[in-house]
Amino acid sequence: MTVFFFLIKEGFKGLIRSQYAGLFTIFIISISLILIGLGFVISRDMVFAVQKLKSQFELEVFLKYAATDREIEQFYAMLDSMPEILHASYISPDSAAKRFKKEFGEDIYSILDYNPLPPSFTIELKPIYRNVVSVEGIIANIRKNPIVDEVKYRRNLLLTLEKYQRIIFVIATLIFLFFTFVSIVLVSNSIKMTIFARRELISTLKLIGATNTFVKVPFFIEGALEGIIGAIISCGFFYALTYVVNNFFYHFVYYKIQLDLKFYVGLISLGFLFGLIGSLRTVGKFLGKIG
Amino acid sequence: MISFENVTAIFPRGAGVKDINLRVNSGDFVFIIGPSGAGKSTILRLIYMDIFPDKGKVKVYRYDSSKIKEKEIPLLRRKIGMIFQDFRLLNDRNVYQNVALSLYVSHVKTREIKTRVYEVLNSVGLGHRVHYKPDELSGGEQQRVAIARALVKSPIVLLADEPTGNLDPKVSAELMILLKKINKEGTAIVMATHNYKLIDYIPDARIIQMDKGRIISIS
Repeated sequence: MTVFFFLIKEGFKGLIRSQYAGLFTIFIISISLILIGLGFVISRDMVFAVQKLKSQFELEVFLKYAATDREIEQFYAMLDSMPEILHASYISPDSAAKRFKKEFGEDIYSILDYNPLPPSFTIELKPIYRNVVSVEGIIANIRKNPIVDEVKYRRNLLLTLEKYQRIIFVIATLIFLFFTFVSIVLVSNSIKMTIFARRELISTLKLIGATNTFVKVPFFIEGALEGIIGAIISCGFFYALTYVVNNFFYHFVYYKIQLDLKFYVGLISLGFLFGLIGSLRTVGKFLGKIG
Repeated sequence: MISFENVTAIFPRGAGVKDINLRVNSGDFVFIIGPSGAGKSTILRLIYMDIFPDKGKVKVYRYDSSKIKEKEIPLLRRKIGMIFQDFRLLNDRNVYQNVALSLYVSHVKTREIKTRVYEVLNSVGLGHRVHYKPDELSGGEQQRVAIARALVKSPIVLLADEPTGNLDPKVSAELMILLKKINKEGTAIVMATHNYKLIDYIPDARIIQMDKGRIISIS
């Protein structure tokens, strides 16, 4: 137990003894985690934005004026049974007139003496069918019904989204990977510096008969602590960023950053791993060199 | 206790030692003398198995250089005390912690560590300097801390590589008197030095003279 407590204590003391090198590693880890976090948020929200645009996509099916209530009910039942459809809602001519008044501020009856708005359905598709090929197939199916007059949808929007979705996904992934790569290089180099600064300690320990485990453990503890402290700093940054953007800039940019507990736990775990793996690799290499 | 049998160890740059045969027994005081590059430090490095022979074998205590496993090297080094010209003390911890480190490495219990560290520091005359950092001490005191760190684990042999190289003649003389006392108490000492004058302090020491990697005389 003496050795166990000694090594734990050495790990904690190492953080204080390493002084500027340790502080530098903490700083680099926090910067790295901020970069990775930003990469994650940017890529996630870019993908979300595309998904959100696609989720607003809907089909409008206009029926013939002559369609009877029974035919409309049967058509509704048919839509309900289609596996591609998430939700279909019926808009009667009266509801359409009310919506017209709400949107344009004028009563349709005062303009035309009659209601020209046909009965219609708005259809929301399941996410996987929100692409031009599937939509065209669904429309062809719907059009087979004799009471259907016209089917409208924002074909150009869907085409544009489809065209750019892949590019956006690739860009988002690249941003995330780039930040992660830069972070790993930064962290690895700063830990290398910390350990190089204490090569004297390592070689002295080896000379007096320390096993590799005895040499490594305090560095692992120190690396993990540096990682966790760096991660806590980056968590503070994101907490502040979220507060500032959501409270002071929302009205300008109409964008809210949403970060949950999982995000913060993820950052801390990543910091812990960075510190641990960084010191593990570097001490391992260094021990290999001095034999 | 220590034996070299036809040992040759050559470095990639060419220096090293060739055809070395020697024995060190318990209680011996052995000087390895010769000019720089004669191979003195190489002999010491072969003893603590920092390097291995290309030919022949080195036996230290119950460890054989041709058979020793990597995980056994720390166990061998716990049996050997080492002091160097540059002391190799850790400036980020005090005298007590520097000496105690040797015992923590050997898994000695905390209570015993305390007793042994104070005992050994008193024996080298540094009982009053336990809380000092090495860089707050004189060169002679630093070397005595290094000796204390080497002795605290009761080694079978103390290896000294140019231990007086950074010390003035007066302090060097004090150090030699201390090493003589340690040797009289039963610890074998192997000292590599190019300072022939040091031999005078230990009249009954064995002297191995080296040049260009070979032993040229043993007395």
